[in-house]
Amino acid sequence: MRILKNTLYLVGLPILLLALWALATSGAPNFFVPTPATLATTFGEVWFDADRLLDDVLPSLGRLAAGVLAAIVLGVVLGLLVGMNRTLRALTEPVFEFFRALPPPVLVPVLMLLVGTNDAMKVAVIVSGCVWPVLLNTIEGVRSIDPVQNETSRSYGIHGLPRIRYQVLPSAAPTIMAGVRQCLSIGLILMVISEMFAASSGLGFTIVQFQRSFAIPEMWSGIVMLGLIGVALSFIFQSAERRVLRWYHGLKEVENAA
Amino acid sequence: MQPETTAGHAGRTLPEGQALLSVRGLKKVYKTDAGDIEAVRNLTFDLGRNELACLVGPSGSGKTTLLKCISGLLASTEGEVRLDGQKVTGPPKKMAVVFQEYGRSLFPWLRVADNVELPLKNAGVPKDERRKLVADALEAVGLAHVPKSYPWQLSGGMQQRVAIARAIAYQPEVLLMDEPFAAVDAQTRADLEDLIRRIHRDLGVTVLFVTHDIDESVYLGERVIILSSSPTVVQEDLVIDLPDVRDQLETRALPRFTELRHHVYEQIQRAKKGHRPEAALQK
Amino acid sequence: MTQTVAAKTPGRRAEPGPGKGAKRRSGSARKRLSDPLLGLLGVVAFLAVWELLPRLGLAPQKYLPPASEVLAALVRDFGLADFWKAVGETMAAWAIGLAVAVVLATVLGLVIGMSQFLRRATYSTVEFLRPIPSVALIPLAVLLFGVKMESTLMLVIYACFWQVLIQVLYGVADVDNVAMNTARSYGFSTAQRVRDVVFPTMLPYLMTGIRLAASVALILAITAELVIGSPGLGHEISLAQSGGAISGMYALILATGLLGVAINLATRKVEKRVLSWHPSVRGEVAA
Repeated sequence: MRILKNTLYLVGLPILLLALWALATSGAPNFFVPTPATLATTFGEVWFDADRLLDDVLPSLGRLAAGVLAAIVLGVVLGLLVGMNRTLRALTEPVFEFFRALPPPVLVPVLMLLVGTNDAMKVAVIVSGCVWPVLLNTIEGVRSIDPVQNETSRSYGIHGLPRIRYQVLPSAAPTIMAGVRQCLSIGLILMVISEMFAASSGLGFTIVQFQRSFAIPEMWSGIVMLGLIGVALSFIFQSAERRVLRWYHGLKEVENAA
Repeated sequence: MQPETTAGHAGRTLPEGQALLSVRGLKKVYKTDAGDIEAVRNLTFDLGRNELACLVGPSGSGKTTLLKCISGLLASTEGEVRLDGQKVTGPPKKMAVVFQEYGRSLFPWLRVADNVELPLKNAGVPKDERRKLVADALEAVGLAHVPKSYPWQLSGGMQQRVAIARAIAYQPEVLLMDEPFAAVDAQTRADLEDLIRRIHRDLGVTVLFVTHDIDESVYLGERVIILSSSPTVVQEDLVIDLPDVRDQLETRALPRFTELRHHVYEQIQRAKKGHRPEAALQK
Repeated sequence: MTQTVAAKTPGRRAEPGPGKGAKRRSGSARKRLSDPLLGLLGVVAFLAVWELLPRLGLAPQKYLPPASEVLAALVRDFGLADFWKAVGETMAAWAIGLAVAVVLATVLGLVIGMSQFLRRATYSTVEFLRPIPSVALIPLAVLLFGVKMESTLMLVIYACFWQVLIQVLYGVADVDNVAMNTARSYGFSTAQRVRDVVFPTMLPYLMTGIRLAASVALILAITAELVIGSPGLGHEISLAQSGGAISGMYALILATGLLGVAINLATRKVEKRVLSWHPSVRGEVAA
């Protein structure tokens, strides 16, 4: 009985919305919005195609992965260096805050000029936008480490790389993970945008092509595809975060119960 | 009968070479935008091997500052601290500190056993030896049954035991404790006090125990160093001539206990009122 | 002149040292520059590197003009009516989109949040729609509205709505049950309960949501203008780039960044002001 109730809650509203959608499009064919059935078939046609997957989807996702990973590594390493040094923090704060406030897509024209319009540019665009949340969150995470923890490390002679590994990074991990989450959503946006300019393949390019040639159901299938990727990324992140920060969630539960 | 004390502003010192921990003329001045603040003026005392000494003083008497200077976490303005003849410039290897805030000192991402093991791992102790030291330490504090728990899953008293286990697994010569039981309930505190005495007896480690609890200082210590108010000097260095075997009920009921604690209490009240030992007034 | 050390407050242990009033200088003899001064130094160093890279030939001067040229172009822009028109267009899209999203999200968030049934029924839908990147809607926006500002608005509203909604939902969930039951037992109507119990609890979360949404709104506005070509700074940037006015392009990018900084500072100020009346529990939930 309970399982039935939970399932109803899970699919109730979506089914309702789907039904409304089907109803709204059931009359004369609408130019802007396809019927659910059409969309489903188009989706299968467009995206379950080997060529499409190999030429557009996988390379795009590959660039996204490369960009995000590079941004995370760069952001964490730099963030550690700056975060642990008060002078460096003060020196870099205004400049970093400026770059954090800069909307990431704005650097696309710049990078197009400096790097060209190849794969490197697309990855550079992703890195240039994604590094900031990770960097700034790492700095903040390191800066706000409990002084008692630092003193404990000092009193037991834990310095340098071991200290970073055993004390600094784990302590800053919750804040860093929040930055990684932002990094992922920015990365997806930039992946798409970088392919809308002077590109000849990729997810973003494909979807724009559909729109330009008024292949409307195909365009919608692209939107759905992007949505699915967004959901998948969010899911992957949440699973990873739950594992890495298991101790943190446990700690918060205990604290909140108190 | 008047307790045995030292006069003047210096604590008891030992002949050359006999002291394990030696504090001479320790002075700490904080420089602030509002001028200099002299927290500690002149502290001099020695701790011998296998001694359990308590440090008491009124609020603001720089107890924490003193402990931080002795442990090498804070640089003193003047004076020096020597451990086994070596000058202390940073946290020395043969010294371990137990902080008051056990919740913030233990690493929440490590399990209990890993927390205890960490300093040893960092010092390069081989795995087998580490395991044994950790097991022994947890056994000594009565936590052999929770190695896989996380600190935040344990009660306050148990967390502090973990911190103590971590300190003794490190095999220090001197154990510094900074008001470790202040944030713990009374019943747990009694158990932990007995634990310290047991560890001191079984492991032979020298303990410098900072507290604001007068009863605790008299119950625990073989010696109580009473601090003056700020700028701090040694108000009095008092020998506790209670029996070696102590019991929460029996010992605290002894008339001698009451005398001693009365004396300490008096001294602290005088310190709070701004009374300072004769010699210090000459400065 | 020495003073006594301030008495320690029980419980929360602070670092040993002087009381709260006095600020601690570094213990060592070395003189330290203050933080704001260091920050300024950092900015100057950054500009200096930017100036030297192209001039020394380490970067292509054609594609990376020296800082001085860009700054000069920016100053020139400040005197141009067209520049301010573009700024106005971007700000208009930002403001309208943000406002609409906030109102929608607050209302919906309150309605959904206060009903356990609605909360559970909408959970799966919200969690599914939330991570959908707003750029996915770009083709649709172009189809529906072309290069008009409405395209920008569509993207801005979509992205900001989710930011604020999530925060409002968390805020409503944080409402103290005891307080709510008390209000009910005293016969408070729904509207009164919302005003006196729910809203104050939710307010800090709402402010966090608005702060996050404000910066997201700018990102989306610029993105839409850049990619779609709707009126605003983003469009000007792409025009400058395709027209070869490289210094001008950098100047506009700089202006966009400054706009972003201004928005961040302003929202932080507003947040502080609004919440100075609500010293209740604050919680920033990772959005």
